[in-house]
Amino acid sequence: MKIINFCKVLILLTTFLVSTGFAQSNKILIINSDNSVFRYETIAIEFKKVLQQNAYQWIEFNLNSHVDAEVKLKQLILQENPEFIYCIGTKAYSLARNHAENRKLLFSAAINWRRLDVSEGTYGVANELSPAQEISLLRYFFPAIKNIGLLYNDKFSREYVETIKKDALALGINIVNQPINDAQEISDALNELLPKIELFWIISDPVVLSSKASVQQIFQSAKQQKKPVYAYSDVYIEQGAVMAISADLATIGRQSANLALMMDKDKVPEGTVQSPAGSTVTLNKCALDALQLGFNQDALDSVNKIVECGK
Amino acid sequence: MIKYINTSLIGALILNSAAFAGAAAPNDDLEKELAYLAAERQVVVTASKIEENVDKTVATTTVITQDDIAHIGARNLLDVLRLVPGIGITQTQFGWREIEVRGVKTLASEKVQIMLNGHPLDHNLQNAGSTWVYDDLPVDTIKRVEVVRGPGSALYGANAFLAVINIITQDAKDLNGLQTSAGWGSFDTQQYRASWGKQFDNSAEAALHFNFTDTNGINSPIPDDSLSVQGLNSSAPGRSQLTEGRYDLEWQLGYQDFKLDGRYINKKAGTFYGIASILSDSRTQQDYNDYFLRLSRTWKIKDNFTVDTQIFHDFFSYDNIWQTEPNQFIRNGVQDTRTGGEIQANYHISDAQTLISGFSYAKEQQGNLIDEAGSDPANMVPVPFTTEERIRRRWGVYLEDVWDPLKNLRLTLGARYDRYNDFGGTFNPRMGFNWEFIKNYSLKFSYGTAYRAPAFGELGLANNPVLLGNPALKPEEVKTFETGIIAHPVAGLTAQATYYHSAINQIISRVPVQTAISRYDNNGSVVAEGVELETRYDFDGNLQGSYVSANYVLQHSIQLNRQLADVPQHRANLIANWAFDNTWSSFAHVLIKDSTSRDLGDMRNDVPGYALLDVGLFGKSMFNKKVDISFNVYNLFDKRYYDPAPASLNFIGDYQMAGRAFFGHVSLKF
Repeated sequence: MKIINFCKVLILLTTFLVSTGFAQSNKILIINSDNSVFRYETIAIEFKKVLQQNAYQWIEFNLNSHVDAEVKLKQLILQENPEFIYCIGTKAYSLARNHAENRKLLFSAAINWRRLDVSEGTYGVANELSPAQEISLLRYFFPAIKNIGLLYNDKFSREYVETIKKDALALGINIVNQPINDAQEISDALNELLPKIELFWIISDPVVLSSKASVQQIFQSAKQQKKPVYAYSDVYIEQGAVMAISADLATIGRQSANLALMMDKDKVPEGTVQSPAGSTVTLNKCALDALQLGFNQDALDSVNKIVECGK
Repeated sequence: MIKYINTSLIGALILNSAAFAGAAAPNDDLEKELAYLAAERQVVVTASKIEENVDKTVATTTVITQDDIAHIGARNLLDVLRLVPGIGITQTQFGWREIEVRGVKTLASEKVQIMLNGHPLDHNLQNAGSTWVYDDLPVDTIKRVEVVRGPGSALYGANAFLAVINIITQDAKDLNGLQTSAGWGSFDTQQYRASWGKQFDNSAEAALHFNFTDTNGINSPIPDDSLSVQGLNSSAPGRSQLTEGRYDLEWQLGYQDFKLDGRYINKKAGTFYGIASILSDSRTQQDYNDYFLRLSRTWKIKDNFTVDTQIFHDFFSYDNIWQTEPNQFIRNGVQDTRTGGEIQANYHISDAQTLISGFSYAKEQQGNLIDEAGSDPANMVPVPFTTEERIRRRWGVYLEDVWDPLKNLRLTLGARYDRYNDFGGTFNPRMGFNWEFIKNYSLKFSYGTAYRAPAFGELGLANNPVLLGNPALKPEEVKTFETGIIAHPVAGLTAQATYYHSAINQIISRVPVQTAISRYDNNGSVVAEGVELETRYDFDGNLQGSYVSANYVLQHSIQLNRQLADVPQHRANLIANWAFDNTWSSFAHVLIKDSTSRDLGDMRNDVPGYALLDVGLFGKSMFNKKVDISFNVYNLFDKRYYDPAPASLNFIGDYQMAGRAFFGHVSLKF
């Protein structure tokens, strides 16, 4: 067959492909950092439910399912040409950021989103509740507390801790923070920190909370020095936290989906990052009683769960 | 014991709640939360660490990923490259393999630039090309292979003539621990590798790879040689003696913005047929050493302005013993070095435009020549040198602008000027666009030129009874125009069609000067044109991980109104990968190659075309994601097929290639 005949075939092929291309509809690409991680997957499930209710199409890409995820993701973005990309977790966002080109990005479940390279065309739902909200509630429950301490790793939480300090200062609370580079430093850091504070705050720092042993170390030290512990999640209530305010995962998924719908209709300003809309306050009365720590009884109106000691 | 009491009290700060749905035990909840934090801990993101992604879609590019390589059960780089449209692999009489690109192939594949992590590997200054030690490169440590077809001198400089093959290997982040693998197969083939990588808290990182490969070769039957056809004593009929053994070490060390990387390879091989017209026995031995060392640093001047700097030192040597008659041997060897540096400025004018400019300098030197002859390989005597010591200095400047004037339009405009102390200057422009004229449908167009610098052997070959060098040689030149369309008509489907037209001029070829003596000269031209069609469909849902793909090329390469010898006009690959579940998948590949014609004056029949079927089974991420295994059968139906032998060896017919062959592979992560 001569080349001229192949050029004809090429033209016919082009015509066919062009004609079928008009049938395309908008798609959302969901990139999950690791669908075996409960938090990521819960958010993904709720996100998809809302999309389904609104007749949106989506495709999913789980980074943990591919040996060479970055290359596969790049190919997928080129192949599918999604309208925008929903990234669950920091890994998903950082890879999508490299290959999304001019597409809109929406993220959630990324620890300390302020450390990310968030620019034009990026939206998000923060992983952490608003520090001002949490500090306000803490002050409401424990009016006598003036000094709150926390441990953090500079790489992961510097910006978040700076925000906490700023918001706390505005509410008359002093934050005593102690950076650590490794979980092995927790014990020494706590020995130095705990005498200076009235309450210890566990933030979602991946270096501080690197293992069960790290968590046990924190509660053991706090118990020895009779200091109450406040945590960002109610999973630490079992360990002995006196109070926790947890962002609700399912709500983050739905909130992200609603934000996506608004993004699609250009009804939300670029660069918007929302705080989680749903949260649960858990009070561990058993731990409070053990510490003989008083609290504002009027604040019980704000509590969703109260944990008491068994008989 | 703790008990939970739910209250219905909703505070003013609490907007809604759905937290009571979880029924998991509290300890499970903590484990889940720690698993999430561990997943987040894997990624450290700062603005300075996000790499800029320069889109090269103006060029015709094929990317083969680590996942693809694992599925096809590739034994070496050649098994990967033969799946790429427009590329064919054939055997040479000396042992190494030829890489045919877009209907053009030469013995040393010197018109193809192979790079490792962006560093050119054409370290053999005497003969050019990289196939001497890189044709059978192990693939276990490869992260991906990018094949850019078409001229690349405007970006990469010398010898990026017909294609650029960039091999990207795993770095510290990819490894994150220890990985080992081993493979065994037909022809007593064995492969082993160990890789280790770690990122440290102080921003240091290290990755080390070690590979070892050994094979007895395919033992192809050789029916005759020039002695046996006369009824004289010879090794024929016999078998090819292409034993190959190699080991290599690659390192990538980084600290802050500095990086030190390189690779050392030692390869020892026999030969397929030999250098003369008689079949070589096992006393023919090739010994190659190759390494490069590169120190680089990226300087961030401003957020939108960075400068990449590097200095490098490349080394290549060979020390080969060839059998020229039943009891006559020659030994020859050289040492080549290339030392230089490059500085490249990257200026992001805006989100839509990036300007790249750079300057490079290199000094190339050849010395430590070895030329000996004798009847005993262990006791040979010096003879006049067949090549010469030589120093070449060259520098180059380049500029490229990548500009998106519209959201759906990318323009690329660039040029490079290179200056050599021995043959002067060469200017190579490149321009093109990629226009998404309808959503999911892009039209590409590009035009570019490239050059290949004369190799030291082509310039200085001497005292050779049949071939002489020519110090007045000019570089080969190619002008290529190509256009194509890429489409994603339905989800998962990619289709691409490309037309190319290349005019190669000032080809460095052998020109007769006296009876039985030729000399290198810039003589003649080749026009290569063709159409490349490729498509791939990735299944979704329950079949996620499965895909089918196909590519087909029609190529006409014309010299003196004749189709180039030993190059097929049609070649197709059909590939199917079926993922049974998240662990097991099977793979099938059919290579269909058209017959190839002979050179002018060669009266043999055309080399017949053939179809080969390879199949494989791959199990991945087993035993807590720590073990991958694969088993492949090549040429399942034991098809007898041949690669073309040159006209000078017409008495042996052609090279019979491997029949049915097996290869098993195990990979472990720690």
